[in-house]
Amino acid sequence: MERRPGGEANIRTGEKVMTRPRTHPIRRYRRRALALALLGGIAGLTLLAPWLATADPRHAVPADQWLAPSAAHPFGTDHLGRDVFSRVLYGGRQTLAMGLLALGITLGPGLVMGLVAGYAGRWVDRALMTVMDALLAIPSLLLALALIVVLGSGTTQAALAVGIAGIPVYARVTRAAALEARALPHIEAARSIGVRPVGILGRHILPVIRPVLLSFAGVTFGWALLNGAALMFLGYGGDIAAPDWGVMLAGAREAFRSAPWAAVAPGVALSLTVFATNLLASSFNGSRASK
Amino acid sequence: MIPILVQRLGAALVVAWLALTLVFVALRWIPGDAVDATLARGITSEADIAARRDALGLNDPIPRQYFDYLGGVLHGDWGESLVYGQPVTDIIAQNIGPTAALALGALLLGSTLGITLGILAGLSHWPPLRYGAEAAASLALATPVYWTATLAIYLFSVQFDLLPGVGASGARNLVLPVLVLGFHTAGSIAHVTASAVKETAQGDFVRTARAKGLPTPDVLDHILRVGLLPVVAVIALQFGFLLGGTVITETIFARRGLGRVLLRAISDRDYPVIQGVIVLSALAYSLINALADVLYTWIDPRINSHTEGR
Repeated sequence: MERRPGGEANIRTGEKVMTRPRTHPIRRYRRRALALALLGGIAGLTLLAPWLATADPRHAVPADQWLAPSAAHPFGTDHLGRDVFSRVLYGGRQTLAMGLLALGITLGPGLVMGLVAGYAGRWVDRALMTVMDALLAIPSLLLALALIVVLGSGTTQAALAVGIAGIPVYARVTRAAALEARALPHIEAARSIGVRPVGILGRHILPVIRPVLLSFAGVTFGWALLNGAALMFLGYGGDIAAPDWGVMLAGAREAFRSAPWAAVAPGVALSLTVFATNLLASSFNGSRASK
Repeated sequence: MIPILVQRLGAALVVAWLALTLVFVALRWIPGDAVDATLARGITSEADIAARRDALGLNDPIPRQYFDYLGGVLHGDWGESLVYGQPVTDIIAQNIGPTAALALGALLLGSTLGITLGILAGLSHWPPLRYGAEAAASLALATPVYWTATLAIYLFSVQFDLLPGVGASGARNLVLPVLVLGFHTAGSIAHVTASAVKETAQGDFVRTARAKGLPTPDVLDHILRVGLLPVVAVIALQFGFLLGGTVITETIFARRGLGRVLLRAISDRDYPVIQGVIVLSALAYSLINALADVLYTWIDPRINSHTEGR
């Protein structure tokens, strides 16, 4: 039974990459196509928001509070009488942008530290991973909250907090994959003929562990979306009038007894995006053999 | 067994100490005047604020503050709230019960549901059941508490009036929060279980068991004994996500608990309380993972021989 790089790490770091040992390539590509279509659709809708929206997402009409879905307001209206449909479209922009920013903040340092630790080994590895373990001991949402205390509230700060909180897990997964890849014969050969570490990392190790990295980047993006929206939900986003799925879910909480639609639209949008992201992540894993 | 236990628990304590250090250092970056604003509640003159700063040791050099705090933590003195003047340990003691009940209940439900869904998704030969379980697991993973809770309260307490929705305490009030948080937790446990049992089912010993004509329940027993092993570790790791989840669940259901204590402390910039709650969760999380590690080694003695110690 062949073990792919990162297989062990997946279990030990508790990340959610689906290790699918023998998924047929065609099924994987079908998964990927479906996931990309969903994500593309969602991104397209939010980008086209100015043309698709039927109302200004910030325009409050107090008289129209909590209107049920109708032709004028396909998803109803919220507590300030704003059009939920338009807010969901515009809200996706901020939610997705926050997710992408957080992802970028996680990937850069996480990848570098993981590769360096996994490749250099010895004391570098031990020092880096000790710090990562200490950070990992703090549940990621609590870590993000602690960072909010220091950074202050605001959408950029929230994305930054979520991104930093994701670094330790990404570094651990990368390190485990790099460690396992280092033992592969062709990489050992490259080392023995004196290829420089940077060359080995870039040309030999990265391509081998790419599926693990891509797959886990997908999972990280899903987390970033959920944690980012959680911070927005809790009210650390600064601008509370801004259209944002997390903010909308928080606002909808006030009257879900009488007007559940205000929560359904942003909730479904967020879940669908995270679902597509996880699906995309699962389609990357294990494609090394087919490469 | 005992040496492993001691070693793992020791490692967990070291990790928790490092986490404490990181949190301590991070929270020192809060601007001083923000702390003054917190201290100023109820106090008017600047001299009083200065006196309070002095009394709390906020004017000491940072290393001194750190060692005082560390020594205090070891002696059960976790500092006192800047706003309420109450010892942090008291605040924690008063609020830990509901949070522990919620977290453990959700962990129990999440594990049961997650393992069941995972086994169905990984082993069922009937496609509708397999895809159904897979879809349920993906759904659980993609639906955060802050939106399923709203939906669940609407369905169970508004539409059908079965369960109390938002409320403070009592066993019946625990049902809905546990259900919501447990469901989200089940997602990742199900995914790991599915891939673990699926991989195990392709093992040679399973083929042998089938080939010699063992009845299906016995084959399943073979698979699960091996396949469910890694799930132990994952369940322990899920505990961390759960602790994050309790913060939001408590907010939505307006429950008493550490999560709300933390949020209130964050808006007050009451950093001894923030520090206390975070250090406590780091400690609980590392200890639970250490215990899971030991349990894992105990169930499967091979583990220790081929994993480099962590």
